[in-house]
Amino acid sequence: MKILLTCSQGGHVTEMLFLMDAFDGQDVVFLMYEHPTIRNLQYKTHRIEKIDISMWRMLKAFQKIFTILKKEKPDLIVSTGSEIAIPTFVIGKMMGIKTVYIESWCRVKTKSGTGRLLYYIADVFLVQWPDLVRIYGKKARYEGGIT
Amino acid sequence: MRGVLHKDMKFVTVGTSNVGFDRLIKKMDEIAGKSDEEIIMQIGGTKYKPINAQWFTFLDDEKMSDFYSKANMIITHDGAGTLLIALSLGKPIVVVPRLKKYNECSYANKFDLAEVLRKNNRAIVVYDIEQLEEAIQKVTSLQYRTIERNTRLISFLREYITTLDGGIKNDYKRH
Repeated sequence: MKILLTCSQGGHVTEMLFLMDAFDGQDVVFLMYEHPTIRNLQYKTHRIEKIDISMWRMLKAFQKIFTILKKEKPDLIVSTGSEIAIPTFVIGKMMGIKTVYIESWCRVKTKSGTGRLLYYIADVFLVQWPDLVRIYGKKARYEGGIT
Repeated sequence: MRGVLHKDMKFVTVGTSNVGFDRLIKKMDEIAGKSDEEIIMQIGGTKYKPINAQWFTFLDDEKMSDFYSKANMIITHDGAGTLLIALSLGKPIVVVPRLKKYNECSYANKFDLAEVLRKNNRAIVVYDIEQLEEAIQKVTSLQYRTIERNTRLISFLREYITTLDGGIKNDYKRH
């Protein structure tokens, strides 16, 4: 199965790399930022300009990610956050691709901005701390955390 | 920076954010000035440049892992990435949460993660930077174990992928 993994820099990448065993034997493609802290992984990787909180870069990202998803045609998109998942999930949803969002490990009792939005879009919405299930609502599931 | 590392080194890291962490780096530089121990700092977007310690802005995670593994202590902000790595290596950790009132982060402070670690006795958390030196002395005397990797989440993802992918095929095989 082709799986596109997407994450912003920092902890989001670290968390994804801690979960790689889950994708053993699958055809994995990464979608990440151009950022000095993200090394080249042994997986095929698409890189886009960091969105952060810029609306303009968000729009550009929508266009770029659309092209990438059209080309890669993944069966599943998985993200550990953060904002890079917003355009990816929105476009993925429109293309009928299944999506799994994993809220960051650092979100113990509060929602993230990305999570707030993608709660309504993701097919599977996972949180890493039990308290968050109540805070997000019924759709959120706690199936264990990275630690 | 590589090849100069000693065994007993303290590693200070402020993560991948472009927002600096002057309060921590300044204080650590002051502490480094009084100490014979090697201190290496990853300072990211911090404006203050240390004079008593070696420093760099960013390195990729492969090079960073060298510093993590050689350090006898990690002094860091309250970021998921740095804390996950430090915990997985079983290093003593001092966490200095970024504070919104000093514009060190853009989010409203909750200190959830730092507090979970403090309650579980996995890190010392320093909110008042004047207490950093004391925390560094205290953390060395605490016993830490490495975190256990939780396999439940990985199993869940695997099962979900199997259901998506080969559910129908597997049913055929079984019958």
